[in-house]
Amino acid sequence: MRKLTRRPWMALAMALALATGPARGAEDTPWILDANNWQEGKDLLPEPVLKRLQAGEYWFKVVPVDPAAFRSNYAKKFWDATAANAGKYDLDEKTCGLRDKATGKIPDFVVGLPFPTIDRSDPLVACKIAQNFAFAGNQGGGGGATFTLNGVDTGGQFRRVKAFLHAMSYQGRLDGKIENNPDNLAAQAVGAAIEPIDVEGVSTLTKRYWDWESQDAIWAYVPSTRRARRVNAASRSDPVAGLDIFSDDLNCYAGKIEYYKWKLLGEGQVLAPVLRPQPFPFSPTSSPSRFNVEIPYMTAGYEKPGSKGAPWWIQENLVFVPRPVWILEGQSEDPYYNFGKVVMFFDKEIYRIYWKLVHNRAGEYFYTAACGYHFVKNDEQYSAVYPNLVIGVNDKTNRAALGGRYQTSFVERNWDPNYFSLRTLTRLTD
Amino acid sequence: MTWRGTTRLLLLLVLLASTVWLLGPRGERRDPAAPPLLTTPEQVGRIELEEPAGRLVVLRSPEGWRDPEGRPWHSDAPDDLLRALGTLRPAALEADSDRPLEEWGFGPTATRLHVLDATGQDLLVLEIGRRNPAWTARYARRAGTREVLLVGAALEWELDKLRASAPPPNADP
Repeated sequence: MRKLTRRPWMALAMALALATGPARGAEDTPWILDANNWQEGKDLLPEPVLKRLQAGEYWFKVVPVDPAAFRSNYAKKFWDATAANAGKYDLDEKTCGLRDKATGKIPDFVVGLPFPTIDRSDPLVACKIAQNFAFAGNQGGGGGATFTLNGVDTGGQFRRVKAFLHAMSYQGRLDGKIENNPDNLAAQAVGAAIEPIDVEGVSTLTKRYWDWESQDAIWAYVPSTRRARRVNAASRSDPVAGLDIFSDDLNCYAGKIEYYKWKLLGEGQVLAPVLRPQPFPFSPTSSPSRFNVEIPYMTAGYEKPGSKGAPWWIQENLVFVPRPVWILEGQSEDPYYNFGKVVMFFDKEIYRIYWKLVHNRAGEYFYTAACGYHFVKNDEQYSAVYPNLVIGVNDKTNRAALGGRYQTSFVERNWDPNYFSLRTLTRLTD
Repeated sequence: MTWRGTTRLLLLLVLLASTVWLLGPRGERRDPAAPPLLTTPEQVGRIELEEPAGRLVVLRSPEGWRDPEGRPWHSDAPDDLLRALGTLRPAALEADSDRPLEEWGFGPTATRLHVLDATGQDLLVLEIGRRNPAWTARYARRAGTREVLLVGAALEWELDKLRASAPPPNADP
């Protein structure tokens, strides 16, 4: 019987990469994909995005990059650690949690990709891809940025929130294990709103435990009540500040890997949004552990008169690299989690998620997020990859939100763990 | 109670039953928000997908899902589809639409999904029309009804998985 596949996103999803090469990826020169040649995006973009491309709302500056050069955005130390992980780990089948083959328990400390090779026939392949994603993101160890969340509809910006996020990881850091970890954490973070004044100081503290079963512990603090309250981990699927963007959009997936049930659907190619394909250098500050990273601002259509496309579409300082991807489904079993089935596109080598398509719990597709990144590296001993952009588009309401787009951020290689505390939360507005 | 009282009560009962019969809903009416498939996936023995581009038939066997030639379905797409059919919560748009069916995408160009149990008894016959303008869902209607449902795009996603995972036509059984 003939295959009936006829939709581009399923062409991506169902291993049709066998039949599809990059539309123009073999060429080295950058090119523009827009409504005039939208057909060339058929095998490179999720279908709801392709629809907007065809309608002239989106356009893409496509920059083909040598795969080896793109891989070297991560330091040699990372790839050496990855190679050394071969055969060391497997997974707890029930939870998808990482397990040390030697002990049968959760490993003490892991750096690099835990699964250097991926076998499609492995029944746990999807979990392995997801675990690789988590460890690729942790390599920098810590950092922070001040960013904006912009609600944008077809008329332009209707709301703006300025906020900051500070984070550190205990696992996956290229700088090595932190011995002092009494709470057995994998990572922790503090985030807070800065502007406008009515939300100033509204903040959250997140602690992710290094085990297979625990939910993230999240506290939210509201200055007007002067109370920090524990909130459910499922709140990551709640809209942030009433915008079309969610906490789980950070890196396109911000939850614990064990929180989802994962399934590999196939492989393909997508256009990966990056600030630029090469790494940014970082510069020293007065602190020996803190380094600044200067990156250009990504101007959106609503900020630039006469711009082309949707008001939320990025006009400057964003390029798209054709990348091979794994296509996974993820779904939470938590009844309080608002998302139903989520389809995500994972880079097959550097393990970033570039796009995700979200269905609600009734099975209705409603939301696409594009997740952009930049790389930081000075030498082959240290590198980091940071999320710097989320374009969240609610196709049901035809509204969008932009998250990130910061101009400066910092790498912090030695966070004081005590900073990530309720005490910090309650004193942010003092 | 006297025989007169009993007679009056019986008359009242007949009157009430007549009122319900005359004014109440005729025949079996489903809750529009109910999932399309009301049985468990394990009860399904056969799935048929018919559309202008071709026809797919998936049969349950002790070894798993297979096509009519006995070729194995190397994917759990049939199970995913059945799970989706059992959990999707459609919204009813119009109970008795006067609009031409073609406007919803029904008719010769529609996709027809037929789910049967192991004995060949119908469990679901669904006609699937075009997408809604926002592409978040598809119009659908159950066989024999004019009630138009809006079914989430997850259904289309699962159907695509089913199509794409069909055994190649030249594969050996």
